[in-house]
Amino acid sequence: MPLKMESKTVGGVTVVRCIGRIIFGDEAVALRSTLKNILATNKKILLDLSEVSYIDSGGLGTLVGVYSSARSAGAEIKLTGLGQRVRDVLQITKLVTVFEVYDSEPKALAAFH
Amino acid sequence: MAIGSASNPGIERTSGAFPCLVLVQGQEQKSVVLDHSPFSIGRKIDKDLVISDPRVSRDHALITSEEGTFYVSDQGSKHGTFVNGERVERQKLQRNDRLEFGVRDGAYVIFHPVTATSNTAREFLSQIAGLEISTDTTDLEKLTMFLDAARKLNTTGVLDEILVTVADTTLKLTRAERAYVFLKGEDGSLRLAAGRNSKGEVLIDDTTISHSILDEALHSASEFLVTDTSQSLDLAGRHSIVAYDLRTVICIPLRKPQVQAARRDPVAPSTGSGTEIIGALYVDSRFASRDISSVSNDILRAIATEAAQLVENARLVQAEEESRRYQQELAIASSMQKGLMEVHIPEVPFARVSGRNLQCKEIGGDFYDAVSTEDHFAVFLVDVCGKGVSAALLASTLQGMVYSHLVARMPLAEIVAAVNRFFTQKHLGEKYATMVIARISRDGEMEYVNCGHVPPLLVSQEQVVRPSAGNLPVGLLADATYESSHVQLQRGDRLLLVTDGVTEAENARGDFYENERLEAVAARSSSLDDILSSLANFCGGTPLSDDCTVVELVYTGI
Repeated sequence: MPLKMESKTVGGVTVVRCIGRIIFGDEAVALRSTLKNILATNKKILLDLSEVSYIDSGGLGTLVGVYSSARSAGAEIKLTGLGQRVRDVLQITKLVTVFEVYDSEPKALAAFH
Repeated sequence: MAIGSASNPGIERTSGAFPCLVLVQGQEQKSVVLDHSPFSIGRKIDKDLVISDPRVSRDHALITSEEGTFYVSDQGSKHGTFVNGERVERQKLQRNDRLEFGVRDGAYVIFHPVTATSNTAREFLSQIAGLEISTDTTDLEKLTMFLDAARKLNTTGVLDEILVTVADTTLKLTRAERAYVFLKGEDGSLRLAAGRNSKGEVLIDDTTISHSILDEALHSASEFLVTDTSQSLDLAGRHSIVAYDLRTVICIPLRKPQVQAARRDPVAPSTGSGTEIIGALYVDSRFASRDISSVSNDILRAIATEAAQLVENARLVQAEEESRRYQQELAIASSMQKGLMEVHIPEVPFARVSGRNLQCKEIGGDFYDAVSTEDHFAVFLVDVCGKGVSAALLASTLQGMVYSHLVARMPLAEIVAAVNRFFTQKHLGEKYATMVIARISRDGEMEYVNCGHVPPLLVSQEQVVRPSAGNLPVGLLADATYESSHVQLQRGDRLLLVTDGVTEAENARGDFYENERLEAVAARSSSLDDILSSLANFCGGTPLSDDCTVVELVYTGI
């Protein structure tokens, strides 16, 4: 199942809803290029992962990679809608302490301002 | 004694178009292609063939090609050059001649040996050579012969052999004096791939051909170009024609056969100038020789098509061969990797380590190892993200770093911080690793550091505890900080380390094995095999999607 991404802009923030699995290979590549394209024009991205059923080590690497390069370029990526699986992975890897994670889209959007 | 070839380090080529030298030293053999002249032999590192033996002089001998014949000449060497046991100053070489340079009891060289493996094309060629083409052979018969050659040769896989045969067959058909086959290299320039004269001798020098005609043919849209210098008035710029007395030059560009394009657009000729040129066939004859300008156009057209088809097929076969060789290299790398990752668990009186690893790919990213120092025993389990060669490379580096730091008895938090610094500074992209290092001392005091790994299972009297203390993986973030934790073990306590390949193993329904199942089996059994069979039962026939590694450290006490 390929990773689908839908994006919309709310109050200057691009909200990217990911649907599917974020795994090593085409999915991770697609996520990286989508986020890089958005970052070229908008420095505020909210990733909605509520419909991400699974993220593997490769997907996680991509997420952190994009996140770090966005940070150093002065951009912000926040996360919301973490399902149990994704939350577990971020917990185990302690990356939950690195990402800014919010319970809901409105809370995350508010945090951008 | 080391033997090396300066001109061709590490590359072995089959010889067909050019003669070869086979170096024999004990059980080892090495083949070097004589693709240029003069070809130098000696002890000095810049020689085409370097034999590092003190009895070989620095500039020992030269092999030269003179009109298709090869000669070896001694360059005033101290201990002499020998051909078939006779000391020589200069000697014409024949196939299978045995050459020795200074050393009579060591390495020797066989000049262009007749090998059993490369004979298919040659045998067929000798059959063709046996057929005398009488003057009344019709064009059609010649054409049939060529097509037959083409069909038979498609079954052989040696590019050089095919090129030589293309040259020979073209010589037969055109009755020209010399034939050269050029192939286009990756940089777009033409490279001499085979050269023969009508006596069947090898030509390795293309300086006496008309390069201007060759260029012209490549840039023209025609199927072939016949230049009869006796008819042509404009010889300006044609240096070779004048200098070497060339009478007729035929040049046939070899164009990539384009089946698809021809089907899409049946009107377009398949040999149009737009198609990709893969090489060229060049034949010529001198004034002193016979006139070949009257060669039938049908023959030339057939050669153009068939030779291109042959060369293309041969290139495909060669590409397959290269990919097969690449696969072999990978297999060697894989076995080296396995060797590096092979675990030799040291024996200590107070602890015991065992491990199991199920790999889902040839080269995996999981590994574990154990190190004992004076009064400590350490075990580490690492899961490098990703799979395949890149993961294996990273794994080997990591293993070396962690191992050596453990031997140096560095604090665990410093070890992982050093590894993290190393990998983030090297900008390895999104490559990182999760790992657990645990080190116990004689008295059961255990220090461990978990970097983004599945929490270990601490089994004490059938009770499973999951210490949740953890850190970020290594290699992801340059500014990550790491902390280790301490636990006091009792005799019989077990620490179980697993990679996420275990907890995330899936069954046919898409369920994960999960921590609960793992903890249940770990609590009731101290056998790693029980864990693996529980895992196998769970997965059923569903193949693993990630490597699975389980390592157990038992504190047996003093």
